[in-house]
Amino acid sequence: MTRESIGQVHFSLGDAARLSYDHIKRRWGRAAINVASIALGLSFYATLVLSDTFYGTYEGVGGAQLSVESYQYWLVGVALVVSVVGITNAMLIAVYERYKEIGTMKCLGALDRHIIMLFLVESGFQGLAGGLLGFTLGMLAAVMTTGFNTGFDIVFKVPATRMLTLFGGSVLLALTLSMVATMYPAWRASKLRPVEALRYEL
Amino acid sequence: MSYDNVIELKELHRHYTMGGDEVKALDGVDLEIKRGEYVSIVGPSGSGKTTLFNLIGGLDKPSRGSVFIDGVDIAQLDAYELAWLRCRKIGYIFQSFNLIQVLTALENVALPTVFAGVARDEGLKKAEYLLESVGLRTRTHHRPTELSAGQQQRVAIARALANDPAIILADEPTGNLDLNTGMEIIDLLHGLNKTMGLTLVAATHDLKMIKASDRIVWMRDGQIERIERG
Repeated sequence: MTRESIGQVHFSLGDAARLSYDHIKRRWGRAAINVASIALGLSFYATLVLSDTFYGTYEGVGGAQLSVESYQYWLVGVALVVSVVGITNAMLIAVYERYKEIGTMKCLGALDRHIIMLFLVESGFQGLAGGLLGFTLGMLAAVMTTGFNTGFDIVFKVPATRMLTLFGGSVLLALTLSMVATMYPAWRASKLRPVEALRYEL
Repeated sequence: MSYDNVIELKELHRHYTMGGDEVKALDGVDLEIKRGEYVSIVGPSGSGKTTLFNLIGGLDKPSRGSVFIDGVDIAQLDAYELAWLRCRKIGYIFQSFNLIQVLTALENVALPTVFAGVARDEGLKKAEYLLESVGLRTRTHHRPTELSAGQQQRVAIARALANDPAIILADEPTGNLDLNTGMEIIDLLHGLNKTMGLTLVAATHDLKMIKASDRIVWMRDGQIERIERG
């Protein structure tokens, strides 16, 4: 062997997705906590923006002027920060739990960025699930709270493009928050030296 | 170009500081290991055998000196090249097996082929063949928790072979196994060494493993105390 004959290791996004899926499937308890955390924060956000939209639509069709209290947006901000911190914490614990596994992966050829990718893809899945669940819950809550004033059919009067934008925006927000929350834990995991990771006893 | 010595250690030092004191984990080690040789590294805990094992495996860098694997000084390699070396040239076997718990035996064995860039189907086929050759044909879809300790170590051995490495590094491979299972694992490793011409380097306390080896390297206080023929 010569130095020139040394090639490159491979690990695609698809490989990371497959492995992340296995992790979530087998350790669904922790994934469920993360999904719930992001779903709760996001459902609060979705309730607010959807209520706002419903009131706007109601006014547009000749109803009274109603609106969401502005301080509620502050509360949404706080709720989202809390869910981000919660996920960071849960993912840090996940990293500690997987010390040996990360060390083993590195022995098998994983690079730092492969480990980061693995954790980010996993949190991406969780963010996506949390976003879908959160938006659904938020929709229910918004319809329940505004329906008595605006009529429950208001949801069908909102333009489809507006509804799609809100849906897409909410899911994207959940995805982003979940991945931002995982950046630090993923970086920590990637910096583990295999020797230390393998020596670690939980 | 093929080198006769698959591993060459020259004036190898590994020092680190612990609580302000300098610890000389390795203090000037020279050793040559030939292709196809079975070498046991023996010594009390703290003698430097794990450090030596980590340095040969590209898991740690020397403070001074060189580690040549197949003619390349790995102290000169960057992180990407080291990862490739770990992936393609070296197969690791650990005392605690270190299988990925969420994956089946088959997926565990196929994992190194993913890093080597082998197509998924091909990797799984190779893994199936390797599991069969370590006697686990009927256990391919079991997860580590559903396997006995001996079976887990067999999966780990199959995984170590996945990318046809030049060297198998085994750190106390029988340390977590009972007498009979340990014996089976030794026979399996010895067989691979003889039939496939694999270079096998094992850090061990196990007398039965030591007896089976071609050479025994006795370590003490970070130095080679003596080398015996097996």
